[in-house]
Formats: sequence, structure tokens, C-alpha cells
Amino acid sequence: MAICLIACVFTGFTSSCDRVTGASDVTTIRFWNGFTGPDGRTMLALIKRFNRDNPDVNVVMQRMEWATYYNKLFVAGLGGRAPEVFASHRSALQRFIAGGFVRPADDLLGKNPDQIDPDDVDANVLAALEQGGHHWAIPLDVHPEGMFYNRALFRAAGIVDEKGEARPPTNRAEFLDAVRRLKHDRTAASPQTWGYVFTWDRNEVYSVMRQFGGKLFDPSLTRATFADPRNVAALDFMASLVRDGLTTQPQGPQGWMGFRQGRVGMVFQGIFMMPDLRRDTDLDWAAAPLPLLGDRQAAWADSHSLCIRKDLSGKELDAAKRLIKFLSDNSLDWAEGGQVPVRKHLRDSDRFRAMKAQYEFSRQIPYITYCPPTEFVFEYLTEFDEAIELALRGTQSAQQALAGADVKVQQVIARYQRGGSSQQHAEAR
Amino acid sequence: MTHRLRLRDFSGYAFLLPYLVLFAVFLLLPLAFGLWLSVMRYELLSPEPPKFIGFDNYREAFGDPYFWKALWATARFVVLTSPLTVLIALALALGISASSPRRQHIYRLLVFLPTMITISVAGLLWRWMLSTDFGLFNAYLERFGIAHIPWLTDTRLAMKSIVLMTLWWTIGGPVVILLAGIKQIPDVYYEAAALDGATGWKRVLHITLPMLKPVLLFVVVLNVIGAFQVFGQPFMMTAGGPERSTFVLVQYIYVSSFLNYRLGYGAAMSWILFALISAFSIVQFRLMKEK
Repeated sequence: MAICLIACVFTGFTSSCDRVTGASDVTTIRFWNGFTGPDGRTMLALIKRFNRDNPDVNVVMQRMEWATYYNKLFVAGLGGRAPEVFASHRSALQRFIAGGFVRPADDLLGKNPDQIDPDDVDANVLAALEQGGHHWAIPLDVHPEGMFYNRALFRAAGIVDEKGEARPPTNRAEFLDAVRRLKHDRTAASPQTWGYVFTWDRNEVYSVMRQFGGKLFDPSLTRATFADPRNVAALDFMASLVRDGLTTQPQGPQGWMGFRQGRVGMVFQGIFMMPDLRRDTDLDWAAAPLPLLGDRQAAWADSHSLCIRKDLSGKELDAAKRLIKFLSDNSLDWAEGGQVPVRKHLRDSDRFRAMKAQYEFSRQIPYITYCPPTEFVFEYLTEFDEAIELALRGTQSAQQALAGADVKVQQVIARYQRGGSSQQHAEAR
Repeated sequence: MTHRLRLRDFSGYAFLLPYLVLFAVFLLLPLAFGLWLSVMRYELLSPEPPKFIGFDNYREAFGDPYFWKALWATARFVVLTSPLTVLIALALALGISASSPRRQHIYRLLVFLPTMITISVAGLLWRWMLSTDFGLFNAYLERFGIAHIPWLTDTRLAMKSIVLMTLWWTIGGPVVILLAGIKQIPDVYYEAAALDGATGWKRVLHITLPMLKPVLLFVVVLNVIGAFQVFGQPFMMTAGGPERSTFVLVQYIYVSSFLNYRLGYGAAMSWILFALISAFSIVQFRLMKEK
């Protein structure tokens, strides 16, 4: 019985595979991504449109939650079974390059009609996907961190412009003033409100560190510089908000919940959180660039980028390129779900200007800052998170916490450096 | 006779075969593969090719402060959760079994309902309810003039809060098993005890509990094994924080193996956990047998 069952399952699999790949005139390619939220529905609609417009291509899209997706993708890639096209955050891309299964995407960029004009893409975003003289992926979007603020709370606190509209802070003095004026203890009539709370402290602190001029690594990415005085100053400034009672200790995503409850004046979050706010119809919110808390503008960002499998050729390669060009050309649809397109001509359109939050966040593109691109990204971020937590909770000083992280990350670097560079590794594969 | 016996043996093995094949393919082989991984430096992102390193991964684990911290967090969870689960489940099972058959259905359903919720939903729900400044629990406590309790943000309280959630989420399973065990106890024992003038508590102490011993052993062992393997609750509710106070061993294995792709190191920690669980299970079996 069990053997029969197994046989049936295998027979079923085989026949279903035949159905997918059997038609000889149609080239089937797989597109894997981690768009499991509302963005997944938008992407699915785009893929359906692509399939309709390109009858000779059948794109089969598969989505998984990002962490699971990255594991499956990596293992599939190492086993030579990676999908023809796949999405990766720019922060995770280095791992797939090191894995040796990403094809350079240089020939997708150019002035021909079937290419993407590189002058139409922000140079800093494009450069972020460049390594060893190759562009390894095509950026679909950029999703920077920016500021969401509660307009009703701002008006109630009297933080308004000459028209009486809520006026978001643009610099450190205004930010601290707003944090103080927006904070109110609980009364019989109203719950406690906060001017600012942490919602994703890693990115918040990273943005501020970059505003203070700090960096996490030296340019060769072989030496951790977590305890750089500028990083220490930035983290200490953020910790002082907790120390001085201006904000709560970090509570992870619950801070965002507080903003949605209308009890927090300002949060620094990614544009991708905007769909949450759209559902909160009773929340009077708006978006703005991050205030300048250091001495130079900076805002954390990441990009969904589209990659092609290394060994692709012929019809499959052509189909993959057409799909990526199509998605890039139609990234305004994608932007509706809470992203910023990287194609300048799309951002110059009236339709994009009407997307108020995305437009406000897009103003930061000239100075967005990505996390350092290394294959050990999750390991150094683990130490970074720990240092931030220790400092914000007041368990250690910013100096102690970052110095501790520095030592641990240096050990990780040493482990990765054994036996050669990741570039050599990729080439060897 | 011999021929018939052989045929019977063969048909027995034939019935077992499908399970044995699945058991071998999905349990024994991965176990052996894991053991092999644990003595290798097998890092998917490292430029270094896989290499046999003997017990280096185990040595690294025993010298790794994060490993000890994770083991300590796991031990705290086991010690806090397992006895409470068994005691509360036993109390609930005894209480439910004493009620009328019609009510038993309702109570059993109510107790078992949370078990049917996935950990992602239950974790998100409790994370919000236990939020210090924006959660449901503190909002109600505030009305009675009680200051906010840092359920998930205090290093001393976070694990206890996770235990609270775990009790709510998992208690249904042991209750149902114990209820089934109680139902299996023949009525004649209770009738005889009643004739001898035994009261309710005496009947529980001298009939129910001794007769339940095998079922209790099963529940205890299953619970301890499950508690050692805890992952979903801290992962969803605290992500291992604050300050790694709820960062359990399975989470560290997950992070090492599937985020940092250090498969050899992750496998070594898995085998240490496996050894610990086995040791505890053997001790529990022996203790229960002796009594």
C-alpha cells in the first residue's frame, strides 16, 4: 500500500513536471522571491501581465518567507538547481556571489531598447551592486529608512508651521524639542504618549552612525571599526534618549504598534511599513526624510535586486532578461506597495509624486547608505544588534558595547579569511 | 510449523517495511549525516573547503560563551516549564474527569483550543499582549494603578513570560493524554475503594495516580524533550532577547546552521543537545521504573 502510494506520488510529480515544461514553444523560467506580504500580490499581478504579454514565456513564481527563502535558494544554488531568476536584498547578495551562482548582469544595462539605461538608474544604487568590475544584479527598488510622524500629535503639541500644519523636525535641535513636547504622561483622559520610540534599532542606529560619519568596517572590509569614536558618539546619543527618559527601552516591533495606536509622535522606519498605516484609516500620519542628527545626511536603505542564475543561456537567458527589464520598466506598480523605484524617469512622473510617502522617502536617495556588503553579514549584524541592545538598555556604555562587538567581529573576519578571499571562492566554484 | 512461522515473520517485516524505510531515510540517515558534519569544518560561505577536524567543533562549543548562555536559557526553560505543565495538566485532567460527561467535552475543547493555533500567530498575539508600553496586559493593570510590568524587556522576567505563554499554548496536549489515561482506569477499583470508605482525595492518591504512572511517564518524557527543543516561542516573542536571556540552544543551532551556514558547528551543537535529551530521558525512565 505504502509502495503504491509512493509510486503514485512519484508518478504524479512526473506528470505535473511534464505539464510545466512540456510545451516546446514556451520557455518556462522560475522566479523565486520572498514577497509574501501584500507586495507578493503586486508582484504576482505583474508576473501574470508579463506572461500575458509574452506568450512564448511562462514565468512560474514561487514565494517564501525571506529567511526560509534565502536558505532554500542558497542550497538550491550550491546544488545547481537555483531558479533562473531570483530576488535578493542587496545586503544578502554577497552571499550568493560568494556561492558562485549569480551571473553578472552587465549586459542588461545599456542604451539598446532591450536594455535598461544605466543613466536612468541612480548611480549610487547601481554602484552598490557592483563588485570586481561587474554589476551582479538589477535593482528593482530602493527602500530607505525615513520618518513617519503622527500629525495629530504634532498639532496638539503646537509643533506646526505658519499654516498650522504639523512640522516634522529636520535637525537635531528640532528633533529633541519635538521628542520632549510630544511626550506626555498618562492622565485620566488620555494614555501615555511618546515623542519617539525605537522600532528597529539596528537600522535607526546605523543611520545615525553614518550621519555622525562612522563606518563599521575599513574600506577593504577586513577590519571591523565598530568602536570608531564617531560610531560611539552616535550610539551614545541614541542611548541618551533612553537614559534621559525621553523614550522607552527598545521593544522591537512593539514600538511600531505604539505608533499605529496613535501614541507615538515619530518613528524611523522603512518605507515598506507604509501598507500597515494605510489600513489604519483613523491615524493621521505623514512621512518625511530623517532629521539630521549628526553632521551629514545619511539614511539606511536596502534594495530588492533581481539576479540571473550563472549558467543560463539561449532562450532561458533571453526570457530572464526580458522578465527583469519588464519588472524594472513597471516598477511604478511595484512602488504602490511601499517601495521607491530606482528608475529616475518613473520617479519624475506625476503618478509617483502622488505617492506622497514614497516621494518623501525618495528625497533621501542621494545620501542613502547600505550595510557593508560581506558574506558574513548576518554574523556581524548579530554582534551589532547585541552592542546596540547593551548600550540602549544601559547595561554597558556605548564604548564598551561597540569595543566588545569589534573584537567578536574581528574573530569572524579571521575565520572567513582562512584559505583566501570570497572572490576566489566564487571563482573556484 | 516452521514454514508457517517464517511466513508470519516475513509478513510482519513486510508490514513494517514502509515505516522502516521512511525511518531510515528521514531519521537515521540524517542523524548519521549530522554526526559526520559535526566532525567536519563545513562552512558554506567560507573559502575553505570542507575538512575533517575531529572534535574541534565540540571543543569550540564548550569554549563558546554564547553556547553556554543558550544552554543556560534552555535549562531555565525546561526547569520552569516541564514541572508546571505536568502539574497543571494533571490538575486540569482530574478536574475535567470529575465533571459531567457533557461538560467534559466543552472543557476539553476549551483547554485544547490554543494548541491548534500556530506558533507564529500565538507568538505575535502574546508579544503584543505582553508589550511593556503598548500591550493589553499592562493597559488593564494600569487601570488598577499598577505600574507597567516589563514582561518581555526585563532579563529576569522575559523567560518567565515565555513560560506563561507556553503553558497556555501547550497545556491542551498533556491534558487530553492524561484524561484518556484516567478513563482507562477500571471503575472496579473506585467501587472497591468506596466500599472501604475512601474519600475523593484518597482515591486520587491511591488509585488514580498509581494507575496513571505509565501515562505520566510518557507525558513527562515527552514534555521534557519538547522543552529542550523550544524554539518558536522565544523566536517569535523576544527573538532571544533581552541581552540573550531567552536565546535558547535550538535558536543558536538555527542561527549557526541556517543563517551563518556553519553546518559543522551547528551539527556539533545538535549532537550535544541530542546527548542531553537522551540522558535526561534515560534518567526519567529509570526513576519512574524504580518507584
